[in-house]
Amino acid sequence: MINLIVIAISAIMLALLLVWWRWPAFRVWIEAPKYSMLRQERRFDAGSARR
Amino acid sequence: MTTSAQNLTSRNERVINTQTLGALPSIEYGLIRAHVFASLVTLVISVLFGILVATKFTFPEFLGGHGWLTWGRLRYNHTQGIFFGWLGNAFLAFFYYVVPRLANRPVLSRRLGWFLFWVWNFAVVLPGWVLVAAGFSQPLEWAEFPLVVDAFVVLAFVLMVFEFVLPFLKARLSDLYVSAWYIIGGIIFTMLAYPVGNLVPELVPGARGAAFSGLWIHDAVGLFVTPFAAAIAYYLIPATTRRAIFSHFLSLVGFWLLFFTYPLNGTHHYVYSAIPMAAQKGAIVASAYLGMAVILVVTNWLLSLRGSSGTVSKDVPLRFVWFGVVSYLVVSLQGSIQALMPVNRFIHFTDWVIGHSHLAMIGFASFIALGGIAHLWQRIPGTRYNERMMNWSFWLLAVGLTLMVTDLTIAGLVEAQVWQSSAPWIDSVRAVGSYWLVRTLSGLPILAGFVLFWTSLVTGPRLSEAITSGTSRVASESIVAFENVSPASATLFSTDWLSYAHVVAFGAGVGFFALSFLVLAVLPGKKLEAEIKQVAPVTMATLTASEQRGRVIYGREGCAYCHTQQIRSLAADVRRFGAPTEPWETKYDYPQLWGTRRIGPDLSREFNLHSRDWQLTHLYNPRLVVRDSVMPPYPWLFDGSPSQPTQEGVEVLAYIQSLGRARQLSGFDHQTLASSVQPETPDMAMASEPSARATPPTVPIAMMGGYSLTAPVLHPASDRDDLQEEVSRGRTLFAANCASCHGSAGRGDGKASASLLPKPANLTAALFSDERLSSVLWNGVAGSAMPPWRQLPTEDLRALVAYIHSLHVPGAAPSTQDDKTLAEGASLFVANCASCHGGGGAGNGPAAGALAPPPTNFRLKKPTQERAWDVLENGVPGTAMPPWRSQLSADQRRVLVEFVRSLYGPPQENSRQ
Repeated sequence: MINLIVIAISAIMLALLLVWWRWPAFRVWIEAPKYSMLRQERRFDAGSARR
Repeated sequence: MTTSAQNLTSRNERVINTQTLGALPSIEYGLIRAHVFASLVTLVISVLFGILVATKFTFPEFLGGHGWLTWGRLRYNHTQGIFFGWLGNAFLAFFYYVVPRLANRPVLSRRLGWFLFWVWNFAVVLPGWVLVAAGFSQPLEWAEFPLVVDAFVVLAFVLMVFEFVLPFLKARLSDLYVSAWYIIGGIIFTMLAYPVGNLVPELVPGARGAAFSGLWIHDAVGLFVTPFAAAIAYYLIPATTRRAIFSHFLSLVGFWLLFFTYPLNGTHHYVYSAIPMAAQKGAIVASAYLGMAVILVVTNWLLSLRGSSGTVSKDVPLRFVWFGVVSYLVVSLQGSIQALMPVNRFIHFTDWVIGHSHLAMIGFASFIALGGIAHLWQRIPGTRYNERMMNWSFWLLAVGLTLMVTDLTIAGLVEAQVWQSSAPWIDSVRAVGSYWLVRTLSGLPILAGFVLFWTSLVTGPRLSEAITSGTSRVASESIVAFENVSPASATLFSTDWLSYAHVVAFGAGVGFFALSFLVLAVLPGKKLEAEIKQVAPVTMATLTASEQRGRVIYGREGCAYCHTQQIRSLAADVRRFGAPTEPWETKYDYPQLWGTRRIGPDLSREFNLHSRDWQLTHLYNPRLVVRDSVMPPYPWLFDGSPSQPTQEGVEVLAYIQSLGRARQLSGFDHQTLASSVQPETPDMAMASEPSARATPPTVPIAMMGGYSLTAPVLHPASDRDDLQEEVSRGRTLFAANCASCHGSAGRGDGKASASLLPKPANLTAALFSDERLSSVLWNGVAGSAMPPWRQLPTEDLRALVAYIHSLHVPGAAPSTQDDKTLAEGASLFVANCASCHGGGGAGNGPAAGALAPPPTNFRLKKPTQERAWDVLENGVPGTAMPPWRSQLSADQRRVLVEFVRSLYGPPQENSRQ
């Protein structure tokens, strides 16, 4: 049980880190939502201000 | 050539641009308002329940006359109210605010939303409270609302999938913000885990059911509360600071780690229990990983707030979230540490854990939910907002919570310390009495803080326009910087499958649910089933119908929330309560009543431990027999007096007295000892304690009835000053432990005496030998309410012996012990009394072995003439001693009185036998 958990978590972490390190495009993609969220917030603020 | 990243960005822009001009998705402000008010109303009510629960620790009689206001039912309603009423409504309000922003689509349907509102509040919260108060509940942690209510909870989660998850599916965004991941994953996971945690323990008994319960206990907090609170924090921090979070990558790593490890934590609530050790250790490892995951998540949050300390101090909603973030770090690290075996063995079942759960539910979840509500409230046109009051609310809550958690943590350590010793259980209750008072008082600023929070939303200036800060320079810079990123290298991540990120989040919910279900419940359940099949005695007795009904009452009144029914494989547990609970012992328990908290002692071995009248008196009013008990009274189980239990009273008594019967009658312990096969002990703690390993006390000290050959004879000090000191100490001990039954002056007229049969001994009416007093204190008196007190230190027992000696008042009547009288008395004694009391009056007649209480041993006890006369006149109700006034003349009885008084002292050769 312990081995299973440790191996699974290590594998997930390694896979994520590998992808992050190997493919810069992944970094762009994975970080994109934090900007689109802000953009949306700005849209809603602007819409609210118009009302 | 159009690169993939350009595709990605341009498509998102297209989605957004199509709605930019007057096409913002609508937000259901009416539903937000409704859920906010519902959350605050239920919050205040739930906190009031909590304060009443806490007050009852200090004043157990407070509102104790009514079943619907008893501790257990209020406790159920407190936690369920916080869970469903407060946090559930707060999260729903936030979903209505944030889902249209994140999905760029409105929620599915306003009508569906109102239906969900009514289901949540008027088919779940309100009827749940009413049913629990009326006595219809389920004695499972975080699952106390009855099953009929659970059906509506599941319905509500299905509605949530349509209302909040479908918009994401329809939007097909390729860049799903982390808050959306948490919302989708949390809804899906809870929709699946809820019925498993609530229904399966009703169908799967005992240890196997506990494995499922453990799953839900942690999932309730870890996968309902945490994801939604995390969603709020991830949204509110950038929305307030107007700066993107530090790393979205880290936020998703945190998401996957939390969803992977949280469900696997469940069994850490049952460390050292009968659940297979592999599952326990797996849960402990998962708990350690969870701590690391939380460090990562919190680091990301705090880095997102870097340079924003001014905003945190000025913006009260953000400050609420910041406090929640810090609490999350503390409570999660605390959780990881307390799951470790060396820590868990001490602090589990104590108030430490209660402090931990309050830090999680108030410090983390409630503070973040409050921050979320305050944030969105300012963005709803036409609402009022009183910032000053909101600020006061924050400080009252922060101070109250800090005081409460600190107090409970220390109280837990004090309890743990006493439990490790051999002191009586009630000493741990006495030791933390003042801490419980402080805890109650700390609830007052918390209640005031919540009321002020509510007030701050309905007073203050009306907001004619929602707060906007879309012109924030920082925000603009962040977004422009992102849009300038060269997309040339984004080839791999341009495909359409990216637009299915929400499906991955959906799958995370389902997948991790299935994993935890399999690893923590199904596999250990299989192993337990095989073990039970192999080990369980074939003759194991089941509960009678009456006992079964009593079990339901026991669950209804919340008894399992103060008394565990699981003896852990720890030396301290075994010394106090007996051999560790075997999985088969609870194989007929639907649902399991193992419990996760000890305010009173474990009840697994209650069979034959206390007499019927003691149990009834204790249920009627615990303080009649245990002066400092904080257990609530249950007068509604009686018709006005302890000796007149109602049908329900009889049934709950029958159940309590059945606990441990199956094990005692099965001969399991004797077989184990005889075959010299030690049961597999998973307990590293026990193995490390030679005393526990050398003499495995398969039967606890307190359960050994009759007279023990090993009882030490405790002689009071011979030195006069030392004796005075012992008597003084004994007086204090007697007042604390004995006076409830024997009366403050030892005349057998204590508060409990009216309902005990046989009556407690009048200690002034006889001279007792040291041997007799030592034996009674060591073993108790079988067949009476007198329990053994050998858990007291020997010095205390000796002091009690000294004090009881001092109570003796010699009779006033002159003694006439001439030879003729004594010879006549001996003749009468042999003819009428020897079959029970033995020829020499040593209480060892042929019939004695079958009598409980045993006949008096007159060599060790010399009654006063008045007492001996009274017994011969009236007998001793509740014992085998009958009245003799119709069989013997007054002269004969007088002779007998003198004879039995002459027997006192060690037998001598050629003496009267």
